[in-house]
Amino acid sequence: MGRIALNKVKKVFGDVEVIPPLDLTIDDGEFVVFVGPSGCGKSTLLRMIAGLEDLTAGAIEIDDEDVTEVPPSKRGLAMVFQSYALYPHMTVRKNIAFPMRMAGIDEATQNAKIDAAAKSLNLTDYLDRKPGQLSGGQRQRVAIGRAIVREPAAFLFDEPLSNLDAALRVGMRLEIMELHKKLETTMIYVTHDQVEAMTMADKIVVLQAGVIEQVGSPLELYHTPRNKFVAGFIGSPKMNLIEGAEAEKHGAASIGIRPEHLTVSKSEGTWKGRVGVAEHLGSDTFIHVHDTGLMDMMTVRINGDIDARHGDTIYLSPQVDQIHRFDAQDLRIA
Amino acid sequence: MANRTIPRLLQTPAVLLLLVWMLVPLGMTLFFSFIRYVLNNLRRPEWTSPSIENWRGFGNYKFVWNQDGFWLAIQNSLLIVCSILFLTVILGVLIAVLVNRSFPGRGIVRVLLISPFFVMPAVNAVLWINMILDPVLGLQGIAVGGINEVIAGLRNAPLIGGFFSLWPELNPISFRATQTSAYAVIMMVTWQWTPFAVLIFMTSLQSEDQQQKEAAILDGAGRWSQFRFLTLPHLGRPIAIVVMIQAIFHLSLYAEIEIVSRGNGNKNLPYFIGELANNNIGAASATGIFAVILANIVAIFLLRMVGKTLME
Ligand SMILES: Nc1ncnc2c1ncn2[C@@H]1O[C@H](COP(=O)(O)OP(=O)(O)O)[C@@H](O)[C@H]1O
Ligand SMILES: [Mg+2]
Repeated sequence: MGRIALNKVKKVFGDVEVIPPLDLTIDDGEFVVFVGPSGCGKSTLLRMIAGLEDLTAGAIEIDDEDVTEVPPSKRGLAMVFQSYALYPHMTVRKNIAFPMRMAGIDEATQNAKIDAAAKSLNLTDYLDRKPGQLSGGQRQRVAIGRAIVREPAAFLFDEPLSNLDAALRVGMRLEIMELHKKLETTMIYVTHDQVEAMTMADKIVVLQAGVIEQVGSPLELYHTPRNKFVAGFIGSPKMNLIEGAEAEKHGAASIGIRPEHLTVSKSEGTWKGRVGVAEHLGSDTFIHVHDTGLMDMMTVRINGDIDARHGDTIYLSPQVDQIHRFDAQDLRIA
Repeated sequence: MANRTIPRLLQTPAVLLLLVWMLVPLGMTLFFSFIRYVLNNLRRPEWTSPSIENWRGFGNYKFVWNQDGFWLAIQNSLLIVCSILFLTVILGVLIAVLVNRSFPGRGIVRVLLISPFFVMPAVNAVLWINMILDPVLGLQGIAVGGINEVIAGLRNAPLIGGFFSLWPELNPISFRATQTSAYAVIMMVTWQWTPFAVLIFMTSLQSEDQQQKEAAILDGAGRWSQFRFLTLPHLGRPIAIVVMIQAIFHLSLYAEIEIVSRGNGNKNLPYFIGELANNNIGAASATGIFAVILANIVAIFLLRMVGKTLME
């Protein structure tokens, strides 16, 4: 079981309120991602759940039991850190054994669990090495192994993939999702990367300055962002946000249109602009369009390629049913 | 090839200087240790100048080897060095861990902690033996006197008086005596060198990874387990350094021994060499070579031991 509830949780450092009172419920077995720009309080929130950081006010419940005053080791949670936090003087085997050793579990059970974890994480050949002799990806797997053997009520990940190179990151992302499908344990995953959030999460919690902007499934956030911040943060490339006269035509203070919801033509269309840089990904092309008179630079995403050179004139037409409208308070107009 | 010649040529003076710096004294000691060479001998005046004619082979070594004083000096050297190492490392780790926490006045406490290290060894010895350890006028004498007075007062108290009347009067210890002078040296050098250990350990503690600690906390490690399994291994290398440096320094202790008791009961190898060198340079040199060998053995042995116990 691993149902986690935050009630009016608040955190103040000195006289800076990093997390204003916040409510959140995480259901058993869910894969929840906290996403938001750097410094928005994601780690702080996760550390409060883990018990590494005291709450200024509020309460945390795990499986309907108030754990606000329970020490970290008694909460039944396992955490994987960005820096892996492996014990450098111990072999991989001893690293994975450490939580069981602290819990006083007998050696035979320890070894059985270590071997099982090592097998599922492809670490069997490295059990007698020290962390310093492993690659980044292997270290991350050791950290995960150390978490698995504790059979926690929930796993907490704090930007676990940030120190890996891009190719490894995609691989580890899949492994973690695979692990979640297999264990069906609650996982809370912190990242500043919205692509990770979109691909991995059952439920995304978008944070800004310690405030929850929206909670929802990846597609909910994509199709119906609650406000302008979420609209701009979720989706890649970013949504084009337009203010002023053009927005007023749609009865809104500002409107947003995703790059993939613009149609491009070289001869006619709603908006006219000049082609800037084009990024060719093969399957897709991102074209940056200048001088539309609507915003600084508009991004368009088209399938395949288009014969447009730098400086050419280009016409863009939004798919009208895909336009997001926001009021003066930046909230979505239904 | 050619592009290597010039750098080598430019390095040569430095290398030569270092070689001369090390090899000449060692060579001379070796040479003296194989000849008869005394400063003063009326019957054999030819022995008073160093010359190859006075070749004695391993005679000086045999002479020293067969002296009781030599073995006592080695015993004392080892006792003093090992005790100091043991005490400074333990005290150093404890104090460093305590001082590494934040508390009001930490800056001042740290400066005060380091200050014994800036006292000259001779001054340190004079302070300790006269002001602290002196059985009459030192702190020790005053403290023992005070305790005796309190006990004497309690003897007449109702109820508990009977219990205290059984207590013997305490006698202060004379630290200049044969049996105790080595302990006085150990105490004063430990006091002086603990700050050195604290300083090195403190620097190392500050580079300790906090996330590892947090991971350990989540893994259920208490304070002691965190210290035992994270902090102590992290301190392994600095401990080895402290042990190494101190072993080298303390094998050559001299001033403290001279001041505490003029070598009475606590002669170490350097002191023994010093006494021989009053006249018999040949024997003193042979002892010096023994000392070099001993220092190397101690260094290798200690490093192995520290490495084994802490790194794994
Ligand atoms: N121990 C601390 N003391 C003071 N301020 C802190 C502390 N930890 C974090 N903060 C501040 O809290 C804010 C949120 O930090 P953090 O939770 O690490 O952000 P994120 O993980 O989203 O990047 C930041 O502005 C940071 O400077
Ligand atoms: Mg963070």
